[in-house]
Amino acid sequence: MSTTDTAAGRREADRLQKGGVFAQLRRRPEIGSFLVMVAVIVGIAFASNGNAFNALGLKNNISIIAQFGIIATAACLLMIAGDFDLSIGSMIGFAGMSMAMMMKHGLPFGLGEATPFLAFVLTLCMTLFLGWLIGTIVVRSQLSSFIVTLSFLFFLRGLTEVCFRVINQSTQISGLPDFKETSWFADLMGGEVFGFFFDAWHALGGNVNRAGDQWVSGFDARVFWWIVVAAVAYYVLSRSQVGNWIYATGDNRESARANGVPVNRVRISLFMTTALCATLFAACQVFDTNTADAAKGNLKELEAIAIAVVGGTLMTGGFGSIIGVIFGAVTFGLVANAVFFIPAIDGSYYRVFVGVVLLTAVFLNESVRKRITGGL
Amino acid sequence: MASPLIRTEGLTKRFGPFTALNGIDLDVYKGEIHALLGDNGAGKSTLIKILAGVHEPTEGSIYIDDSKVTFRSPRDASGAGIGTVYQDLAVNPLMSVTRNFFMGREVCRGPGSFGALRMDEMDRITHDEMVKIGIDISDPGQAVGTMSGGQRQTLAIARAIYFGARVLILDEPTSALGQKQQMEVLKTMKRVRSRGDIAIIFITHNEVHSRLVADRYTFLALGEVIGKGTRDELAGSDIRHLMAGGVEMADLEQELASIS
Repeated sequence: MSTTDTAAGRREADRLQKGGVFAQLRRRPEIGSFLVMVAVIVGIAFASNGNAFNALGLKNNISIIAQFGIIATAACLLMIAGDFDLSIGSMIGFAGMSMAMMMKHGLPFGLGEATPFLAFVLTLCMTLFLGWLIGTIVVRSQLSSFIVTLSFLFFLRGLTEVCFRVINQSTQISGLPDFKETSWFADLMGGEVFGFFFDAWHALGGNVNRAGDQWVSGFDARVFWWIVVAAVAYYVLSRSQVGNWIYATGDNRESARANGVPVNRVRISLFMTTALCATLFAACQVFDTNTADAAKGNLKELEAIAIAVVGGTLMTGGFGSIIGVIFGAVTFGLVANAVFFIPAIDGSYYRVFVGVVLLTAVFLNESVRKRITGGL
Repeated sequence: MASPLIRTEGLTKRFGPFTALNGIDLDVYKGEIHALLGDNGAGKSTLIKILAGVHEPTEGSIYIDDSKVTFRSPRDASGAGIGTVYQDLAVNPLMSVTRNFFMGREVCRGPGSFGALRMDEMDRITHDEMVKIGIDISDPGQAVGTMSGGQRQTLAIARAIYFGARVLILDEPTSALGQKQQMEVLKTMKRVRSRGDIAIIFITHNEVHSRLVADRYTFLALGEVIGKGTRDELAGSDIRHLMAGGVEMADLEQELASIS
């Protein structure tokens, strides 16, 4: 009953070598992004004389990394299912505007004062609806998600600016009171977390400022949210039934449909997930700085996609990993911040780097895909 | 003779003014391979799409075990035990064998769609089912892209059977494959046939393949049945004649010869 016996008794299954630990590792989708990340960490530590990883450097770097990580995780899930969302950046601007405006001018329709929690929940309802709307349009019209979300990129950014000017007379809001003092929710979004890490560092003799006191007291709260988002996304994608549906949807949509995967529901939910993560991003920003600006989130959608690709997600869908996105976010965050620690370089090198890394990543992903499918 | 497992009576399908099928009667028995042959445009794919629940017939009815059934969706059809293996949308190449096998019907533990996959159990079942059908995959975690075309068809067949198919519709399972892989698929079909409880509808262009495995034949041309019979009733030349849609081969040869 053996299959395709040949003269030498070899079988079809023998043609794929399983290989040792190293070969297995090489077949992991994250390996490329991991190596790039290690190179960047070492390079920046060296070039900044370690300043990038002292207490304040670590806090600031990880803050940026978390920001990237939150939206890139959602972008990655969506890309694995075969879609793009170019409206993430505008959604961030819209959500930030909405929350800050409610905090400054009260709830819409004269419903009274807003608390941070209420402002967040109302905003989330709107952004989730927008995500649902985008998803439904994409699914129903069978247009490419690229063009549908591109129109929402313009639509939402324009809407944000118009709302700012009409209601607020200015495209910026600043000088809001520090809600972190009074609201548990604002503190949860914009406060500090994991203080024990820096306390321990201080106790061990590091983390000291010029006056000899403890220098940094905690990470930004968005680090906590990034960990939550990444952990949930990892579980859903790699360990749950929905994860299998996401992969199936992106790999071969018709085959998934024929096998009973609720393809449309998966896609719409993922558009809502990117909207959720954009709102989370905006909430962390607004309640951290107590400001909002119509230009917030600009180009973030492209950075999120770039990070997902650098993390090993295939542009064509069906393949990718959350672990890879974590590595990609670390890489991007460090490089975006590098100018603060290495004064000698021009900040625009960030984009030069992004361009180079992105192109390299696409080539690398293609070769990984070939390795995984045995070169067929 | 036992009654047929699946039977159609006067199945007609019109798309607007176009009559794709015109009164098809088909009897398929369990433990048999029923070859459905016909040229392009003969109505083969319309017929299987009706059986698979993709289209509803304009007239006529389908009987399973002598009771009438109506399919409103592919889900209805697979619920009634009809498993369709399409030529090109059978599997997802970037996903593992196990993940493909259980696609859409994963075994999980926990709340609703967010339940945790029971990967070990699914790996074991996949491995066992594949061995039953004749392929011993060493690693159910390997991507389907690493498998040959024949193995992919076999995977899709094993999956359909595991999830309760009693009627297996194979849509040109051999047409996109190389010689050796074609044989692999034919072997798989014979193994399924030898179980005795499954009826196989084998759609093909290939006269040689149909003669290697089929027990019974139905020939379609221009939406109608132009001939049917068992393996013993039909001689080789009949098959070739009917495959060409009733045109005499000699005539075709003459026509070809006249062009030079």
